[in-house]
Formats: sequence, C-alpha cells, structure tokens
Amino acid sequence: MKHYTILFFLLFNFNLIELKSQDKIPNLYVKTIDGKPIRTISTINSEGLTIYSFWATWCIPCIVELNAIHEVYDQWTEETNVKLIAVALDDNRTKRRVRPFVSGKGWKFEILLDENQDFQRALNIENPPYTIVTDGVKILQKRNGYKPGEENDLYEFILKNSKKND
Amino acid sequence: MKNIFYLLLFIIFLSNSIYAQVFNNLNASFQSNSNYYLDDNKTGDFNYENRFRSNNYLNFKSTVFEKIDFEIQIESYLPAAVINYSPNLKKTNVSTFNFKYNTDKLNITLGNFYEQFGSGIILRTWEDKNLGINNSIRGGRIRYFINDGVNVTALFGNQKKGFKYSKGYLMGIDSEFDLSSSLNNNTNTLIIGISYLGRNDGTPTTNLYGYKDLTNLFSTRIDFSSTNFYSNFEVVSKSKDAIVQFGDVSTTFIKNGSSLLFNSGYIKNGLGIDFTFRRIENMSLFSERRAFGNIYFESVVNYLPALTKQHDYSLTNIYVYQSQPNISFQDPKMMKSGEIGFQFDLFYFLEQNSFLGGKYGTNVSINASIWNNLKGDYDYYKEYVNTNLFGFGEKYFSEFNIEIRKKWSKKFESIFLFLDQYYNKKYIEEKYGEIKSSVFVLDNTYKINNKKSLRFELQHLNSKDDNKNWAAIGLEYNFNYALSLYVMDTYNYGNPIKEDKMHYYNTGISYNKGNSRYSLNYGRQRGGYFCYGGICRYVPDSTGFSFGVTKSLF
Repeated sequence: MKHYTILFFLLFNFNLIELKSQDKIPNLYVKTIDGKPIRTISTINSEGLTIYSFWATWCIPCIVELNAIHEVYDQWTEETNVKLIAVALDDNRTKRRVRPFVSGKGWKFEILLDENQDFQRALNIENPPYTIVTDGVKILQKRNGYKPGEENDLYEFILKNSKKND
Repeated sequence: MKNIFYLLLFIIFLSNSIYAQVFNNLNASFQSNSNYYLDDNKTGDFNYENRFRSNNYLNFKSTVFEKIDFEIQIESYLPAAVINYSPNLKKTNVSTFNFKYNTDKLNITLGNFYEQFGSGIILRTWEDKNLGINNSIRGGRIRYFINDGVNVTALFGNQKKGFKYSKGYLMGIDSEFDLSSSLNNNTNTLIIGISYLGRNDGTPTTNLYGYKDLTNLFSTRIDFSSTNFYSNFEVVSKSKDAIVQFGDVSTTFIKNGSSLLFNSGYIKNGLGIDFTFRRIENMSLFSERRAFGNIYFESVVNYLPALTKQHDYSLTNIYVYQSQPNISFQDPKMMKSGEIGFQFDLFYFLEQNSFLGGKYGTNVSINASIWNNLKGDYDYYKEYVNTNLFGFGEKYFSEFNIEIRKKWSKKFESIFLFLDQYYNKKYIEEKYGEIKSSVFVLDNTYKINNKKSLRFELQHLNSKDDNKNWAAIGLEYNFNYALSLYVMDTYNYGNPIKEDKMHYYNTGISYNKGNSRYSLNYGRQRGGYFCYGGICRYVPDSTGFSFGVTKSLF
C-alpha cells in the first residue's frame, strides 16, 4: 500500500503531465456588497488589468496586504489603470462585519462577497490571502500567501504587463 | 489498490493530447496534508494504527463543448485519514463530480453541488478540507434568472457523508426579488428572499409520535441598504421534529423550531458600526436524525455559526464560544433550548497627522457580544419547554475586545489586542465550571528590507479558573516572499497540577511560489476546540510532524 502512496505523491509533485490550458476567470455568480447577484466576469476592468484579492475579516496577512495596497492605490490606478477587487470569503459567521470593516479602514476597493466560497472553490484556492492578476478574463498570475513588502513585487508585475495602457 | 489503478488510468486518459483539444480551460490541482505521529512522554503515546496518515485531494475542472463545465474530485486517505477525520473517509474514491450547464439566465447542475439559501440558517452545503467537511448534495439543481431582479433556485438530492450518501433526501426552493431594480432605484437596494427546505430522514415514522417523515423549514428575509445605512431581517420556522438526546431519537419529546435574526449598521468613510441580534430555538438539522451531534459534522444541513469575533491568536482560541441551537435536557438543573443574544462592532480610522492618528493613522476596532439560554418554563420530567420570545436565560458567554493597529514608521507596525471574556463551560460543553479570563496580545512586524521581514508576537491569558494562566511567544522570519520560518511556544505555566504545566511548542517552514505551497511543521498540538470558519471541533493533544502541499498541476 505504501508504494502506491509514494507513487501518488511523485505523480503530483512533479509535473509528469504537460497539458496546455488556458487559464480563465470562472464565470459564476457572487454578490455585491449590497447583496445583489453579479457575474464574476462582469466585474473585470475594461481599462487595464484586474487584481482579485481573496481575503477575509479574520485573516491578518490579508488585512496587512490590503492596507499596504490601500496606501499606494491612488498611485497604482493613476499609473496603470489597474483595478483591485477584494473578494471577501467571510461566511455567514463574519459576513456582516465586512461592510463596516471596509468602511472603517477607508478602503476604496470594489468589494465582492463570496459567502459560500463558490469563486474560491472554482479557482482551487486553499486559504486566503490569494491574489490573481487578470488581463480581461485571462489569468496572468496567481499568488499564494502574502509577506510584508510583497505588494511591491505585485506592482512590478502590474507595471510590466500594463504596457498597452501607456 | 484497484482504485489507484483506475486513478492512474484516468490520468493517462486525460494526458492524451487529443483530449486536450476537446477539454478546454482544463484545470487541475492537488492538495495533500500528511501527519507522522510520535509518542510523547507528556501527552501520551500514539495509540492508533498507522503513525503516518495522509489526506490527498485531486481536483479536475474542465469546460466541454463551450457551455458545459465538468468537475471531478478524487480523494485518497492512505494509509489512513489524519486523526479526527471521519471514519467514513478511507482509501481512494471519487468524492464529488458534476456537470454544469451555464448560460446568462439558466444554470443547471447535475451531480454534487454546494448551495446556500439566504444566510444559511435553513441550508448550507460547503467544503472545508481543514475540518474534513464536505456535505455537498448529489442530485440536481436549477437556477433561473427570470429578469434582472428575480431569480429562483430549486434543488433535490441526497447528502454526502464521507464517501457515502444519506438515505433520505433534501429538496428546496429559494427565490429572490430585487425590488429596487424594478423601481429603477440606484441609491437604495431592497431585496426580499423566500425559501423552503424539506428534509426526509429516509426512515419511515408512524404518525403516532406527532411528527412527520418530512420536516419543513421556511425562511423569509428582507435586506435593505443605502449609501450610509443598511438593515436586514430574517424569520425562520421549522416544523415539529423529534428531539435527539444521548444518541436516541425521542418518540415522546417532539418540538418545532424557530429563528429570528436582525442586523443593522451605519457606515461612512473611516467609520463602521454594526449590530446583530439573533434568537435560535431548536434549529439543528441533519439529513439523518441519528447523525445529530456527531463530531465530524457529517449530514449537517444548515449553518448556525457562533456570532462572535473570530480570533487569530492561539490564546484567544482557548475558550471559543460555539453556538447553542439545540434543545438539550441534561439533568433537572441543566436544560437548554437554544440561544439569544447580540453582537456589536465598531471600526474606526483615526486620520493621518491627527493627535491620536500619528503620521500614518491608526485603526481601532471594538467588538462585544453576549449569548444566553432562552428563558421560559422548563420541565425535565415532562419533557416540556415553553420559551419567552425575548427572555434571556442563563448566560453562556460574553466578550468585550478592543484591537488597535498602528503603523509607527515605514518599517514597523504593531497590533495590540485586549479581550475580556466569560465562558460558561457547564452550559456550552455540558461539562462543569465557569471561566473568566482576559487576554493581551502584542503582534509586531518589522520590515528589514524590501523582502526580509520579522514578526514577533507576545500573548498572555490571565484566569483564576480552569487551567489558570497561559503565555505564548512566537517568532516568524520571512527570508523573502517565498520562504518563511516560524517558532512558537504556548505555555500553560499557571496550571496548578505540575504535570499539566505543558509547553506546546511548534516550529515550521513554508515555501510559496506562484500558486504552489509547501509546508513542514513539527510540534505538539494543544487539544481543545479547533475552529475553522464558524465551526469548531474537539481534537485531542498530538505530537509529530505534518507536511502540506498545494499545487496546480496544469
């Protein structure tokens, strides 16, 4: 039995399988902060890249990251037209805290509620923080986790891929 | 073994490039959590089979023929599932699969699906690998958007438990009416929702007992929001059903259930205030009555989380409130029928360059909650309870906490947290004792340079009850954005019993690159309520290594 376990591990830890895939934003319904259903693809930025930042009110690194981006967000949008959408994974335990929380922070990001984690599951996201950068529906980058200062690295990537907006 | 063979075949089948052209937008991910358990001379030997245990999840998603999405998840628990996972999870098997047909107006799902009606009080199915929860429904679901403001969902199916399915079935309808969209009102939103859920246990009952095979739940909700103000209200009723106590479905104690929820808040830039009131009475629902109270959260149909602040630090998670939705008559002096209480939140930003705000501004948040038993006439021997609508009975729990986040300079940031808590262990856990405690946390982050950073955390729990005082210290070092190392020790130094003055030490390393994550930990895990999301589960102490992988394959 053990051999099979090892085999199982080997298979999936090394990319034995090479398949070309187009990574796209899944098209499904989430909710606006007012509780209205909205299609994920209709939230995509038409003037530049889109950042989907998956966070929750109980996730400390997520809040540190969004606070850090909040401080430089005006500059980001001016220079690249990028739009950040903060997707709250808070379920019904903490969902009600999302709106006053965001307001209390003074964040100006667009907020989506993924109350039953449909969006999270469709992207196979294990835990927040998790960040996705898209150009239209096409996913350019996925980032798992956040470390202090990493927003600079994210912005470098945005700058590099935003050329067409110059 | 056979299963593995099929699994390999399946992968070879997929990897064939011909199929890559039929399947487009193919997406596969792999997740694995493994433990190797060690004997511990303080907490005891590992007394189960298989010291090495591993949970593995393989998920494929693909779009076939433009509008149809296909998904399959294969799970493998080899040689056995990590301890505290359901015994129904063993070996390798297909866990969930589904086909989805999607257009702008119509969504049809066949196979396993996750769904939530309104706030989940009557139905929520979801997956949480951290707790081993997957209560998805296998069957069919249709969602139709009649116009911009009206949508209806209907579903039918059996609920998953482990790799098996419940005998009985669930059926439900949820409808939502956005009145503001039909009135062309853009500043205000008014949404009304009505839902129904029926649960058939699968075991025929006689009408003699005063309850029916089918248990019916109805929910009505109304949701209003404007620029600075929002409010919502939900009323739920559950038809008469047998009370389950000590593992027995009662034939004499039959009762209906109800729930009332009110939430309202005020927001403006830099300020947010929120208030929630909730009353629940006899509201637990399982797809099989006998599954009531099982520690694996199998066959759970609805979601009734504790409405308290969800904390992030080890010592703030020692006494965690769990919601009390049930009728439970333990003895003539300890009778519960539900829960009533409220929660209050305030979030405030002190402006930059103000006296209290400092150069970078300061975030302050205050949270308070109180939860009590329902007040009413209780009779243990007659199995009778009649509750008052707004009466507060014995106190289960209360908490006040304040959190301040302050950035001192470009490089240095702190979080300060204080909480004061009352935890009625006798009522919440049906054990004995009451605990008053207070906790201090100081969490500092220092950026050494653009990539390297250091986090340092100090905690103290002060209590004269139960296991008395605790202290914790933690250090985390980020070498760069990918690699990080942590060391942490939680010490119950105040424990009056010498042998129980335990150190819970943990150390680990994690590596994140793109969408992959690898982690390795070693340490002694504190037993107690392990919580994730709104669900808490009791786990015993354990010592050993754990290893985690998350990876997208293609």
